[in-house]
Formats: sequence, C-alpha cells, structure tokens
Amino acid sequence: MSKIQEIAQVVEGGKVKLIEGLVQEALDAGEDANAILNDGMVAAMGIVGAKFQANEIFVPEMLVAAKTMKKGVEILRPHLAGNSVGKNGKYIIGTVAGDLHDIGKNLVALMIESAGFEILDLGVDVPAEKFVEAIKANPDCKVVGASALLTTTMDSLKNTVKVMIDAGCKSQVKIMVGGAPITQEFADEIGADAYTQDAGSAAVKAVELAQ
Amino acid sequence: MIIIAEKLNGSIPSCAKAIAARDEAYIKDMAKKQADAGADYIDVHAAVNDGEYEVLKWMIDLVQSVTDCPIAIDSPDVDMILKAMPLCNRPGMFNSVSLEGGKIDVAFPILAKPENKKWAIMVLLNGETTIPKTAGERIVVFDTIMAKAKQYGIDDSRIHIDPLIEMLCTTDDGEGISMVLEVIAHIKKTHPKVHISGAISNISFNLPVRKLVNQAFAALAISAGMTSAVMDPLSHDLRGVIYAAEAMCGLDDFCAEYTSAYREGIFGAKK
Repeated sequence: MSKIQEIAQVVEGGKVKLIEGLVQEALDAGEDANAILNDGMVAAMGIVGAKFQANEIFVPEMLVAAKTMKKGVEILRPHLAGNSVGKNGKYIIGTVAGDLHDIGKNLVALMIESAGFEILDLGVDVPAEKFVEAIKANPDCKVVGASALLTTTMDSLKNTVKVMIDAGCKSQVKIMVGGAPITQEFADEIGADAYTQDAGSAAVKAVELAQ
Repeated sequence: MIIIAEKLNGSIPSCAKAIAARDEAYIKDMAKKQADAGADYIDVHAAVNDGEYEVLKWMIDLVQSVTDCPIAIDSPDVDMILKAMPLCNRPGMFNSVSLEGGKIDVAFPILAKPENKKWAIMVLLNGETTIPKTAGERIVVFDTIMAKAKQYGIDDSRIHIDPLIEMLCTTDDGEGISMVLEVIAHIKKTHPKVHISGAISNISFNLPVRKLVNQAFAALAISAGMTSAVMDPLSHDLRGVIYAAEAMCGLDDFCAEYTSAYREGIFGAKK
C-alpha cells in the first residue's frame, strides 16, 4: 500500500493519533504535499461523506475523520503552495441574525473544509450585511452557507438570502441554506441555490457548486 | 421528576403533519395519552414560521378539551408566550426565556405579578449573544438570571433551569457530559429550590439506539440533581430508569414510588 493510500485509510477510520506521524513519513519519503492532501485526505473525506449519506456511519465517526484530517493538514500546511489548503476556494459560512446555534453549522464547516475549501466562519447571529461584506471582500469565494435552527429565525434566513441577492452577490456566489426547520421547499421559496439536510451532503453540494 | 410532556411539538414530523392538516383527533389523543401517563405539564409548541398564535390557540384549546393537565407554552418568542398565557384555564409553564436579546426583562416583571405567581418558568442558560461553551460561562449566566429573579421577586421554586443539554456525539474530546454536570452541581449547591431541567433526548441526536443513550443520561443527570425534564412520558423504559435512579439517589423511601409506578403499569411488563 502506498503512503497516500495509508493516509486515506487513517483519515477514513478517524485514527487521530496516527495521522501526524504518517503525514510526516510521507513527506520525508518525498511524496508531493498536494497529492497527500487531495488524493489522500480529501478523497478519504469524500468517501466518509458518502458513507454518512448512506447511513453507514454516524456523526461522531464523520467528526473524528474530519478532525483527523485537520491534524494532518497542520503538518502539511508549510509544504503546500501558498500554504493554501482550499483548492475549491473560500467558503463563507454563518448562522443568521437572531440565532445563536452553532453546533450544526460548525459540523458543516468542518466537512466542507475537509472537501478542499478554506473556511471563513462568520460565527452566529450574523447580520445579513456582514455576509455581503464578506462575499465582496473575498472575490475567490464561490459558495456561501447560511444556517437557521429555529422556526422563528427562518424569516431571518429569508432576509439574509434576500439581502445577498439584492446586493448582487449571486453573480459571484451560490447560496446554500440549512438548519433543522429548513426544507427544500423553503429554500426554493426564498431563492437559495441549494438546501442540504446534513453535513455530509453539504460538502458534496459545495464541491459541485464551486465547479 | 416533574415531567414536561414533549410530544405536541411541531418540530416532530408527525405532529407537524397533524398541525398542517389541522388534525384535531391527533392533538387530543396525544394530549390525553400523555396526561394519562402522568405528565405534569403538556408542552405545546407550534414550530410554524407564520401564524404561530393561531396554531397555539388551536392546540391549547384542544388539549384543554380533553385534560386538566397544565400546559407548558413553548415558543422561542417571549411575546408570543405572554400573548398565549390568557388562553390557559389554569397556571402552567412559561417555556422559555433566557438572557438572549434582553427578553428576560420583559418576561420576569409580568411573571412576577400576583395573578401569574402560580406559573412555572423554564429558563435556558443562553447568554445575551452566544450559547456559552464552558461550565464557568454558563454558571455566570445562571447567577445573572437568579439575580434578576430576586430583583423582580420571583421565587426560586418557580424556576426550572435548562442547562442546555447538547448532543453527546459532538462534545469535545474527554468531555462527555461533565460540563453540564458541573453546571447542575453549582445550581443545586447555590439554589436548592430551583428545578434542574432540560430536554433529555437532545443528548442522543445522531447516535444509534437513542433510547439507551437517553436512559443512561437520565440516570446520571438525576444523580447530579435533575428534578424536571422535557421528555416523552409514554417511553416506558425511560420512566422505569427514572424511578430506579431516583430510588438509588435516596429520593424514594422503601422504593414506594418505584413499586407503585410498576403496579400502575408505568413501566415493566404490560399487564
């Protein structure tokens, strides 16, 4: 088995303790840093996301795989061109104004990061205007994600999407939405480009939208 | 254990369907079943983004047509709960308020009025602008809430604190539920009359065989001081675990509650 295949297996299996040593070994053996990242880790996380969508694995298994990758990336970062881990560009994410929930949003951010994005996390209770500012300040961002966990903040999500559309953001980015009360129907109604129901499918969708 | 029965909640898909179809029989049946199973409050949560008052009124009227069990009016919108309170035939639970957005200073003065003194109040440990991540931060929030309760003259015994039970599977390494237990211990020590509550099933999101995780959590939380819960009173195994855990914590002399609950068929083999 090649070092890169081994790294892929360790990420997929969430072996946090093994990843740093293994990445270092691969670098020492002369493997290309970008190949380790993309053919090893990002590819492994693609499999993890697919398995999660197929109900073969559970959230904590997906989480530990993503954390494993994150640890490996830290070893890799100095060796990557421009220290960049985001071959798909930036991904701006945040929980909408009036909503403080971030567990789901953070999980989505972690999975999207592991699909080859650089995450710009605006946090929680994010005013719509702040999304717009962040989008305009980052011309290499092609996808943005907004989340709402409460039925009472669905209107805030609607407004966030509207403000982004009115500010002309759609010529630059695709808008993804999610959160417990959100449905495909609601996403369509408010003019979002995509809705995904979990972190695994969000990562797959983000990659598709960034192309 | 004070049981706040959770099944009439529009965030549950089957209940959302019943609400959308204005299925009266579903609401009445679920209210009756939960009341008969020993609920102390029937929680009513519309979870609609339009016309919440109208849905709440419809649900509350239906619940009251089949049971005298008090109602827990459940909404993230404090003003909506205040508006719905007069719909209730008897004092229930205000579910919920937190420091978020300064709403506690709207709710507490009204809840302190003599005519509302029999209403219980669920308070979440949200901060003003964040959900605190550490026990220390949540304790600061708790202390602030209790200072406000004192300021407005709300008795400790009316307050149920939800320390914010979050899913186990995304907690930090080595943490588990230790953070929540630390918060519970502080509440118990400083304000023994305050009820320690929370939604038990939150703990098991995204894990297989959720009921086992819920049961283990209930036992541990009761051991730490939980005295109130948002839960499904129809879950026989969970009810049994709660009675057993309370007996083990010395809260049930001669296991009298445990044995009589068994005899009533609340848990154990169906008779």
